[in-house]
Amino acid sequence: MLIRCIGAEWLKLRRSRLWLILVSLPAFSMMIGCANFANNLGVLQNEWYSLWTQVSLFYGEFFLPILIAICCAYLCRLEHLNKNWHLLLTAPVPVAYTFIAKLTITAVLLGFVQGMFALLFIGAGVAFGFGYEPPAELAGWIVRGWFAAVAIGAVQLLLSMRMQSFAAPIGIGLCAVFVGFGLYVAKLGLLFPHSLLTLGMGVLDQQALPAAKLGLFYAMTSAYIILVSALAIRRLRTADAAA
Amino acid sequence: MNALWLELYKLRRKRLALMIALFLAVELAWAYMSLSMSIARNPDNAGWPAALLLVASMNRLFLPILSAVIVSRICDMEHKGQTWKLLMAASVRRSRIYAAKYAAACLLLASAVALQTAGIAAIGLASGFREAVPLMLLIRLAAGTLLTTAAVVALQQWVSLAVKNQAFSLALGMLGSFVGLTAMLFPAPVRLWFIWSYYMDLSPVTYGYASGALSYAHNEFGFQLPLLALAMGAAAYIAGCVHVSRQEI
Repeated sequence: MLIRCIGAEWLKLRRSRLWLILVSLPAFSMMIGCANFANNLGVLQNEWYSLWTQVSLFYGEFFLPILIAICCAYLCRLEHLNKNWHLLLTAPVPVAYTFIAKLTITAVLLGFVQGMFALLFIGAGVAFGFGYEPPAELAGWIVRGWFAAVAIGAVQLLLSMRMQSFAAPIGIGLCAVFVGFGLYVAKLGLLFPHSLLTLGMGVLDQQALPAAKLGLFYAMTSAYIILVSALAIRRLRTADAAA
Repeated sequence: MNALWLELYKLRRKRLALMIALFLAVELAWAYMSLSMSIARNPDNAGWPAALLLVASMNRLFLPILSAVIVSRICDMEHKGQTWKLLMAASVRRSRIYAAKYAAACLLLASAVALQTAGIAAIGLASGFREAVPLMLLIRLAAGTLLTTAAVVALQQWVSLAVKNQAFSLALGMLGSFVGLTAMLFPAPVRLWFIWSYYMDLSPVTYGYASGALSYAHNEFGFQLPLLALAMGAAAYIAGCVHVSRQEI
C-alpha cells in the first residue's frame, strides 16, 4: 500500500516541469562559484577544497533550504486545489502513508539535486585540472547534506500541508535559514535542521566532524524527521481538512 | 483608485502584514547582530555608513524573495479561486486590473521599505552612533531600494500571472536573490543587466579602499543607473501587461 502511495505521488509530478527548478539551483551555484574561483586562483590554492567553499557556500547556506521549501509547497499544491484534500483523506489509505509518501518523494527529489550538485562539482574540478580523484570527504558532505535536507523537507511539508498559501511556507523557510545561521554561529548548530545542513555539508568548515559530533548529527536529523512526521500525521488524523 | 482599493480589500486575512513583519524582524535583527559583532572587532565600524551598507547588502537576499512572496499571493488568489472569468467580466480594462495589482504590491513593499528605514535609524541609535541620524542618506537608500523593488515586482508579476504554477515565480525570486548576492563578483558591464544587483549599486554608501584598508565611501552613481533601473522596470511592466492582457482565460 505504501509503495502504491509513493507511486501515486510520483504520478502527480508528471509533466510538472519541476525538474527545471531542481536543476537550476545547482547549475547556477556551480557557474557562479566556478567563475569566482577562476577569478581568485591566486588566493584559493587548496584545489578541491577551495572550489567546494566557493560553490557550496550560497547553495548550502541560503538557497537549498529555499529550494526544499518550493519543492514541498509544490508537492502539496495539488491537494490544496479543488478540495482535493477531502478526496485524499477519504481514500482507503492510512493517513500516515500520505505523509510518508510525500516525504519519500521529497527525499528522492533532493537526492537528485544533491547528486547533480556532486556530479557538477566533480566535472568542475576535472575542468580546472585537479585530476579525477575528488576529495574523500565529498561523499560524506553530499550524504549528510541530503539527510539534513530531508529533515528540512519534513518541516516544510508540515508547513505546506497546514497552509493553503503556496508562498507563505517559503517565506517562513527563508526566515528559518537565518535562525539556523545564527545558531551555527552561536555554536548551537546541532539543534536546528537548517544549521545541521550547514554542518553536514561542510559549507563553512571543511574539517571532518569528530565521531561523537557525527553521531549527534545523525541522531538530531533522525529525531527531527521522526518527530515532525509524527506531528504532521497526528494533524492529518485529528484536524479537519480545509480545502 | 477603486481597483486598487479592491485589490487591497482582497488581501484581508491573507496575513501579508505578518509576513512582512517577520521578514523585517529577521533582517533587522540579523543586521543589528552583525553590526554589533563588527563594532566589537573594530570600533571604527561604529557609524551610519556601516549600518546602511549592511542593510543594503541584506536587501539583495530578502527583498527579491519577499517581492516574489507578496506578488505570488496577490496573483495566486485569482488562479486558485478561478476568479479570472469573473474579474474579466467586470467593466474594467485588463490593463487597469494589472495596474491595480502592481500598485497594491508596490504599496505593500513601499511600507516595508519605510519600516526598514525606520529600523535602520533605530539600530543606529541603539548602537550608540555619535553622529545624528543621516536623513538624506536614509532617503536615498529607501529611494534606490524602492526603484529596484518596483522593477523586480514588475518582472515577478508578469511571471506570476502568466504561469499558473507559482513554483516558477518563486524560483525566479530565489534565483534573483542568488544573482543579487553574487552580482558583486560579475564584471561591471554584465552586472548592469541584472536588476537584482541594483540593490547595492543604488545604495548611497559603498565599500572603498583607503591606504590599503577597507573603508566606506559615498556612492555617486549619477543618473545613468536609476534611469536604467526605471527602464528595465518599465519594460518588464509593459511586456507583462501586454502579454497577460492578451492571454486566453
